[in-house]
Amino acid sequence: MIPISYNFRSLFVRKATTIATALGIALVVFVLASSQMLARGIKKTLGKSGSAQNGIVLRKGADTEMSSIIETPLVGLVLAAPGVRKDASGKPLGVGELVVVLALEKAGTSGQMSNVQLRGVSDDVLAFRKDVHLIAGRPAQPGSDEVILGKRLRGQFAGLQLGQHFEIKKNRQAQVVGIFEDDGSSHESEIWGDVELVRTSFGRDGIVSSVSVTLESESKFDAWKAALEHDKQLNLQAMRESAYYEKQSEGTAKLVSFMGGAIVFFFSIGATIGAMITMYAAVAHRRREVGTLRALGFSRGTVLSSFLLESVLLALLGGGLGAFASLGMGFVHFSMMNFASWSEISFSFDPAPDIVLRSLAIGGLMGVVGGILPALRASRTSPVAAMRD
Amino acid sequence: MSDASATRVSGGASGGASGGDGAAKSGFVSAAKGGSTAPTLIRLSKVGKTYYRGKEPIEVLKDLDLEMPEGAFEALMGPSGSGKSTLLNLIAGLDSVSRGTIHISGVDLTAMSEGARAKWRSQNVGFIFQTYNLLPVLTAAENVELPLLLTPLSSAQRKQRALIALRVVGLEDRAGHRPDQLSGGQAQRVAIARAIVTDPKIIVADEPTGDLDRHSADQILELLVKLNTELKKTIVMVTHDPVAAERASIVRRLDKGSLT
Repeated sequence: MIPISYNFRSLFVRKATTIATALGIALVVFVLASSQMLARGIKKTLGKSGSAQNGIVLRKGADTEMSSIIETPLVGLVLAAPGVRKDASGKPLGVGELVVVLALEKAGTSGQMSNVQLRGVSDDVLAFRKDVHLIAGRPAQPGSDEVILGKRLRGQFAGLQLGQHFEIKKNRQAQVVGIFEDDGSSHESEIWGDVELVRTSFGRDGIVSSVSVTLESESKFDAWKAALEHDKQLNLQAMRESAYYEKQSEGTAKLVSFMGGAIVFFFSIGATIGAMITMYAAVAHRRREVGTLRALGFSRGTVLSSFLLESVLLALLGGGLGAFASLGMGFVHFSMMNFASWSEISFSFDPAPDIVLRSLAIGGLMGVVGGILPALRASRTSPVAAMRD
Repeated sequence: MSDASATRVSGGASGGASGGDGAAKSGFVSAAKGGSTAPTLIRLSKVGKTYYRGKEPIEVLKDLDLEMPEGAFEALMGPSGSGKSTLLNLIAGLDSVSRGTIHISGVDLTAMSEGARAKWRSQNVGFIFQTYNLLPVLTAAENVELPLLLTPLSSAQRKQRALIALRVVGLEDRAGHRPDQLSGGQAQRVAIARAIVTDPKIIVADEPTGDLDRHSADQILELLVKLNTELKKTIVMVTHDPVAAERASIVRRLDKGSLT
């Protein structure tokens, strides 16, 4: 075997070419890893919004809370269905919520509007959603025009700061009195106000979008679902809250993965060609060295694997750089449209080790693809011809 | 062609070297001009080599018959294009014949595949090139160690042998230097260390002093004579330099692909 130090040191003989090629591959790996991290972050963010022990009920045929309408009297039926957990006083644990979209001006822009999800909640919502904690301010007063704000919206839109006001409808101001967090879930990108405030502001009297309940146990889900869906007149569909939010994340995550994949595809063609050109140049430049190695008795296969290894080393060098840089995306929050709710939602990149390793492997693969033809040329170098040069 | 053109050079290396004037036609024994006998190491029978420039054939070697005894120090001389380097490449197993056979120690090189010849080269031939052909990114010791990577020796054994070879050529203290940190003469001595490190039977040298000044060239030639006389290496050297050829025990001249 030709020592790996030969390949490693040779890479740095032609520093400029090596660095340029490595940077090209680094860019591909960075984009690939980042898009995967974002897609994973989207799934994670939306996935955290639901619990497997919670069930959610929508109008049959509705894909999202936004498109679901449930008459208020049905809320009681859902809560009374078998399998719903009750608190110490015998009251079923569940809430009916009304979800609408609000157009607000983005902070720091001159009139650029974007959608924000406004959730009308019952006054016991904090008791129902136990992972939600206020990190500033206080809960909104029931029946008032006060709202609390998910922490990821804080400062992102005009009026969305503790103590500030924003227009919930024309000539009706709502005041932000509290900031909450929910373990990084999509709720952190929502405004929560009293359900009556939302009903009256948006003309949705007598309806909710969804009913969420806590089940006695995960195993009670099927019975609860069957009880609700059995009565066709109710026209309701029940699902696990975790499954619902997972489904909500699918479209956006797929879009991000697709866009990332498309960019990576085209970038990787360029970077692979770059690696190929670099390796062809290396083989041409070191033809006499190859001839010497062949003369000394190194086989064609050994020469081929040595140059292939060099190409992979080059790619991993760039890939490592790109992967390392992508880890920095873990500190970045990214706001984008959630196509399930047509509202802006803030995601984090999820720098999972498997994504980094997979992206690095793709970088290595680019080294193999870019290096195979030059390595074949090197292996076919005739020692006699090489010495004559 | 016969090898009757070999000329014994007085005052040259004498480690059992002999001309082929009266070479035995059977078996691997050549009769030395000076009367001593040594087994024949290299035997070429009706060897021809033809290259093609497009469709036009160029006959570089014409049906050569040649025997070289074990322990000889032979110089191949001749004008450019006479076929010296081609003959050297064939003997070293770097190139394949168009016609004829080459036996080295009784082994038929012409019957070997390219892969088998590569393996054979690694075990039997040491190379010295005009431009040294050291790998520029490796140190002197690493360059010398290269051929040992094809042996089953451990890393420690390889390093030890490389240092011994460098000691033989007087460059142990330059083990950690890269080729660009060495003079031409030193680089060629490192190449010689690389050539002997596997203890090959044959050393082929293509213009080993061609890139050196007279003083360095003389040092290299001294070293080759030492390898021939003390380590009993069979050396086949291509040279244009009459002074270099004088150090050989036998000088053969080629012209237009034939021994003259």
